[in-house]
Amino acid sequence: MRLGRRSLLSSLPVLAAPGTCRAAAQTNEPLRIATIETLSGPGSGVNRLYSIGTRQGVAMLNAAGGFNGRPIEFREYDAQGTTSVAAERFRAAAADGIHIFVHGGSSAIAGQLIEDLRRHNMRNPARRMIFLNTGAEALELTGEKCNAFHFRLTTNAEIRVRALVAAMRAQGALGSRVVSINQNYSWGRDMEGAITAAAAAGGYEVVERILHDTNRIQDFSPFAARIAAARPSAVITGNWGNDLALLLRAVSAAGLRISFGTCFLDLPGSLSAAGDAAVGYYQAEVFNPIAFGAEGETMMEEYRARAGTFPSTSEVKAVLSMQFLGKALASLPPGTGPDTTRIAAALVAAQLRLPIGEMAIRAEDRQLIQPLVVSHVVKGSRYPIDGTDMGFEPVGVVPGPEAVNPVQASCRLERPA
Amino acid sequence: MDYFVISLLNGVVYGLLLFMVSSGLTLVFGMMGVLNFAHGSFYMIGAYAGYAIARVTGFWPAMVLAPVVVALIGAAVERWLLEPVHRHGHAQELLLTFGLVFVIEELAKLLFGPFAVDNPMPAELARPALQVGDIAFPAFKAFIGVVAAAMFAGLFALLRLTRAGLVVRAAVHRPDMVSALGHDVSRVFMLVFALGAGLAGLAGAVAGVFYPVSPNMAHELGVIVFVVVVVGGLGSLPGALVASLLIGLSTTFAVGIDATLGDGLRTLGLAWTMGGIFDVRLSSMSGAIPFFLMLLILLLRPSGLLGERA
Repeated sequence: MRLGRRSLLSSLPVLAAPGTCRAAAQTNEPLRIATIETLSGPGSGVNRLYSIGTRQGVAMLNAAGGFNGRPIEFREYDAQGTTSVAAERFRAAAADGIHIFVHGGSSAIAGQLIEDLRRHNMRNPARRMIFLNTGAEALELTGEKCNAFHFRLTTNAEIRVRALVAAMRAQGALGSRVVSINQNYSWGRDMEGAITAAAAAGGYEVVERILHDTNRIQDFSPFAARIAAARPSAVITGNWGNDLALLLRAVSAAGLRISFGTCFLDLPGSLSAAGDAAVGYYQAEVFNPIAFGAEGETMMEEYRARAGTFPSTSEVKAVLSMQFLGKALASLPPGTGPDTTRIAAALVAAQLRLPIGEMAIRAEDRQLIQPLVVSHVVKGSRYPIDGTDMGFEPVGVVPGPEAVNPVQASCRLERPA
Repeated sequence: MDYFVISLLNGVVYGLLLFMVSSGLTLVFGMMGVLNFAHGSFYMIGAYAGYAIARVTGFWPAMVLAPVVVALIGAAVERWLLEPVHRHGHAQELLLTFGLVFVIEELAKLLFGPFAVDNPMPAELARPALQVGDIAFPAFKAFIGVVAAAMFAGLFALLRLTRAGLVVRAAVHRPDMVSALGHDVSRVFMLVFALGAGLAGLAGAVAGVFYPVSPNMAHELGVIVFVVVVVGGLGSLPGALVASLLIGLSTTFAVGIDATLGDGLRTLGLAWTMGGIFDVRLSSMSGAIPFFLMLLILLLRPSGLLGERA
């Protein structure tokens, strides 16, 4: 087998001797999976959840026999919240022979990593890497930046809004006047676009569009006043973390009774900060323990037995992603080895059956098609969140093909040769 | 009209909250020349102390006890950390307080977890104080405003009208002479630092009722408080009040303005098509306005609005 100089150099750190036959080395190699996630500094509280969930997911795959008769190796790299450190960690992961890296915390960091992935795979066709995206939802990742080796195993702005609008309309909670309030960066702008695009289908008019600084606003009461001035029947927001908590607090303090459609209300810190005002608010997510029935209960208990606590939704999403990967790995003939080109092809063909429907990858842009649970906040829930007595009660399931957005015209996938 | 009235009220109360936190910072700098990076951390400690104490004693006693606890911590920091470093110069003091920020943040994470804690609001503050059209003006905002106003009056009276205030002001200008007259200058400094920390603690305890009490609190407010102090003039208490209100009102009203910088220039006939910063809506950068203001002040009046010329 002839090796190009470049691929030879890049494989040096993992191969014992430069002359070794690559195919033989690969079949004996263990599969190496790593997370590149923000584990320290601002944002680490929420972002770390994806890494914790992935670690548990890999442990579950290993408990079921690993891959190719060997346990899957797992590592963590700390992106420290910045794209520059993430890029550096990507190079470290490539040098360490990582086959599959996982990231879910930030659309900004995912935008950097997908660019690094494109360059790496172009220069090292013999050692391509796979990017499993467990939580970054900006549209560009399956649009102009889409990549055959990047798999978005989660929702995006359009999917969330389509599901929210469909279920809230069916519940009569949407009305005809909707306010869009979002953070001023790629994700928030995508949400604003999606809310505007869904207006016809939802039978509403977007009466106010607000974009605000991300993680910098202390006092949201001026925004509450602006929302009130628009006299809306519902508000849809993609805000997360502090921006969501402060917004909900300001709205409840101003005495406004408006139904809210949200995306990240179930992550730690939000519901406790929002307090009782959050009762009745809507949320569209992949997982809800009640909607998943007996299987959901088993998942929750099993996870608690492993990790000590009930999982957050981010952790469940990471576990589901690993199970989806497990399906793909199981479909490969024995003795295949960690050949990422074949694993990527298996991922495109894989299917995972959930209690609420089917998970599968759309080949054209590598976006996951999956059913979404729309739920609302109730008091006295069976799975209370965040030290409150509130939790999420499902009101409906939107099937995958109905929720998924059309393939973006900007996505031109370069299929591997 | 409703919008204008409620925005005016919101802006004033937000400004007063900023003043509560920044007063201690400007006081400590004015009196001791120490630029205390950890000031935002004292604000955070106040919020956590208020939360923890309120669970035992109920809300109102906690509002009194939390600032006292923070003042004691402040006194301890001054006596055992700052004082020994003092003779090495201001740069060392600055670095020490900078390190303290990280230590306190990690301690908060260890003790209370990395996420916001659930800090319930007392029922008497949760109800609306007055109704402006559709929008309620909540009682706790009025409460924040009243506490801030009382604080300013008390502080001003303490420094201007009492003998203790006289000694403090003298110790700032001529520490050797005050010491020669038989006053313990290092104790005066410790008390001033404790007072500054206690004021931040009071602000934290009061604000923690509404704002999420989380380990990020210090970062979130710490930066803006520095902007207030620079705009108002380092060391000037009335300057801090003016700057706080200015920033509170300007950020609040900016939220309602969707015009861009380019619109303004086009109206004047100065430009046709523009891009970048000229096409950003003012409302979407309300959080950046304080920083523009600081830039402007540093260029035009480096000592701040009411600061003394160095």
